[in-house]
Amino acid sequence: MLFYLLKRIGLAVVIVVVAVVLLYSMIHVVPGDPASVILGPRATPEMKQELHKLMGLDRPFVVQVVSFLGKVARGDLGMDYFSQRPVAEIVFKQLDETLVLVLASITWAMLLGIPLGCYSAVFRNTFSDKLVGVFSIGVIAVPSFVVALYSLLFFAVTLKWLPAIGAGESGQFLDQARHLILPAFAIGLGWVGYIARLVRASMLEVLNENHIRRARAFGLPETTIVFHYALKLAILPTVTLLGTGIGRLISSAVFAEIVFARPGIGKLIFDSVVSRNYPLVMGAVVVSTVLFVLSTTISDSINAMLDPRVRERL
Amino acid sequence: MSRPNMQFSKIRLSRRSFLKASAASAGWLMLPGLGMYPSWAKDARVLRVRDYGDPQSLDPGIASNLYEEHVNAAVHNKLIAYKPGTKWEWQLEAAQSIEQVDPTHIKFVLKPGITFTNGFGEMTAEDVKFSYERIIDPELKSPIKGDWATLASVDVTDKYSGIIVLSKPFQPLWMTTLPYMGGNIISKKATLAAGGKFSAMPPCFSGPYVIKEREPKQRTVLARNPEWKGTPAGFDEIHIFPIDDEKTAEMGFEAGDLDYTRVSMSSYKNLKKTPPENSVVEKYPSLYYVWLGMNMEHPKLSDERIRRAVQYAVDIPSILEAAYDGVADPATGYVPPGLVGHRPDTLVPPNADFAKAKALLAEAGYPDGIDLDLEVRNKAVYIAAGQVIQAVAAQAGIRMTLNLHDSGSFWSLGDESKGDRWKKLQLVLNRFSSAPDPHYAAQWFTKEQVGVWNWERFKNPEYNQLYEQAMAEADKDKRDQMYRRMQELMEASGAYRFITHEAVPVIYTNRIIPALRPDGMPLLRYFTTA
Repeated sequence: MLFYLLKRIGLAVVIVVVAVVLLYSMIHVVPGDPASVILGPRATPEMKQELHKLMGLDRPFVVQVVSFLGKVARGDLGMDYFSQRPVAEIVFKQLDETLVLVLASITWAMLLGIPLGCYSAVFRNTFSDKLVGVFSIGVIAVPSFVVALYSLLFFAVTLKWLPAIGAGESGQFLDQARHLILPAFAIGLGWVGYIARLVRASMLEVLNENHIRRARAFGLPETTIVFHYALKLAILPTVTLLGTGIGRLISSAVFAEIVFARPGIGKLIFDSVVSRNYPLVMGAVVVSTVLFVLSTTISDSINAMLDPRVRERL
Repeated sequence: MSRPNMQFSKIRLSRRSFLKASAASAGWLMLPGLGMYPSWAKDARVLRVRDYGDPQSLDPGIASNLYEEHVNAAVHNKLIAYKPGTKWEWQLEAAQSIEQVDPTHIKFVLKPGITFTNGFGEMTAEDVKFSYERIIDPELKSPIKGDWATLASVDVTDKYSGIIVLSKPFQPLWMTTLPYMGGNIISKKATLAAGGKFSAMPPCFSGPYVIKEREPKQRTVLARNPEWKGTPAGFDEIHIFPIDDEKTAEMGFEAGDLDYTRVSMSSYKNLKKTPPENSVVEKYPSLYYVWLGMNMEHPKLSDERIRRAVQYAVDIPSILEAAYDGVADPATGYVPPGLVGHRPDTLVPPNADFAKAKALLAEAGYPDGIDLDLEVRNKAVYIAAGQVIQAVAAQAGIRMTLNLHDSGSFWSLGDESKGDRWKKLQLVLNRFSSAPDPHYAAQWFTKEQVGVWNWERFKNPEYNQLYEQAMAEADKDKRDQMYRRMQELMEASGAYRFITHEAVPVIYTNRIIPALRPDGMPLLRYFTTA
């Protein structure tokens, strides 16, 4: 297991470096000038030149990439020249908000999706299984920004039960939780369907395996068989899905962050790309790439722990 | 298939117990202590407003965005400030008196007793000198240096008095410099102690509010300044939320999370017809100007007849109806109504004249029409405007291809320092912000701005001469004539088709009395409760 972990971490580092170099290249290929966007019509050519120099954009591209990677290796994400604050400080402040949102979304989606999937598998081909199927496909098909808009209109604008904008006052847990409900609902709803379908499919497969049939022959209660023996194996594809799904969750979070005017890393990347704020884009991209690679590494490691055969495949 | 032998625990739930549980849950949710109550029930002494951006820098010498000025204007003082209302006027703020003694000298006397917080003492003429002279100091690299371009010095005569000395007469000073971003007075002692400049949090304040809290990308909280001795602030706190999307802000307002916000032009008619409960919807004229520009140096547009054909092929009423929902009025230049230099009419009427456009094209050697590229920013309103221009111009034989750009790409289209893209630029749907003096808008169309912000590459010696003269001219009527002539020259070149100044619809709750500039922008320090 230790050898597996070392190999997996090495691979993760390579992926991060390649992703950062690729993204750095892509950002610089797109035309646009941060000075013109940020400084607006007041920008004189001298001011623009000064800003380029400050941002290091006057140096050759390769030098910029190497210098950036060197800084990242030392844990320095650079400085945001517009707000004069360290990029790391800005990104991690936003990352907190996104992680809370993503975790809240995926938690409620799992709490509902896994039992629904188990229920569908156990009561397969019954009316309620078909009902769960229709529900699951239905919520998968609806984009999260549509759910966000309609839930906002219904619960915030019409009923005025929940707030429409912001993330709540810092330090006020209940206020923050209240601001989290609608965005988490919007992002998590589609995942309920995904998880339910995935758990159902893998559960059906597992329920027909020999060791489950043997457990039944021994007369073990069905709840023990389902939740203790079958779910442990059936959950593996879901764990993998959650690991790789972090990227999708962050992109869904962008919509929720825009619709609900919440701070977050998705919106930070979007705004920074639009304003060509390269240091902030790269800082945020590095952190989200690391987050993505980290989550896939963790999910793969959990898989390897649960199923030793996986360790041999890397 | 038989049902498996499963023993799930059962929950007995009758209709009555379900209703009881629902009522109890709703009651719990509505408990004020838990914060789960309607937003309109929040503290009446807190004002919640939306702004379109999040302040990056709150040093008045470095800040250059309107949303930064909204905060700065509430926490600092200026000698004079914009007067809330429907006419562009100024009123005394930190100055007890101010007068222009001759074209290049302005004498001021400060009100005694205005103090800076955090123990930085009373505001003196030295602070005024420091605040204004640092903007022209090359070391600071101030983006608003141009606003004080004619400042020679500020001479201190005593503790509260001084004279602003200009290198040459500069009339816009009274409407675009002193009462605007460049007019904020900061503490010399505090700023020097902070290293000569600051960004996120000022070291001290002197206005009716102080910055209590900054949560980047989330909100800025202003609180009453306990040391403020002027007219008391209207609210205990002001919460400013940075929300770029107007539709999001509208929903935030309807949900009761905001007390004041600008709304989209597309929502104005509906909101005016059926406003949300306890709210007021109003529309203000904007200072922005939108126009279709043509690159005079592009081979396809170097012939003035082609440019004039494009002018005649653009139908302004259709654009205003489709893109601006009939809320905005046509523009006659870059100066909006109500300001010196506004033109009553244009040379080319707002309605398209296809026959004239076709005739001009044929005369220029294009009897079968011409293909042109139109560059547009990828925002719904500009895309809609671009599509209308494209559809209508096709009737005159001008076939346009729409190219959409995000802000980053768009704002470097005509910039010579960004490579050769400007050479390919043909038509561009552009929009600039402005200030309440025509000089501000006029400066971007001089020959010195060619390849910087003058993307049409319009070079007219008479324009440049008038620009210099109007800057110094004190006679209002003469200035008016000069700016009118300058806009006429632009239109006569064929490179400009002025479209609109847009409009600023706003909505606010009737529990507040907003203090707005004539263009609908908030002057937060003057907001009060109804």
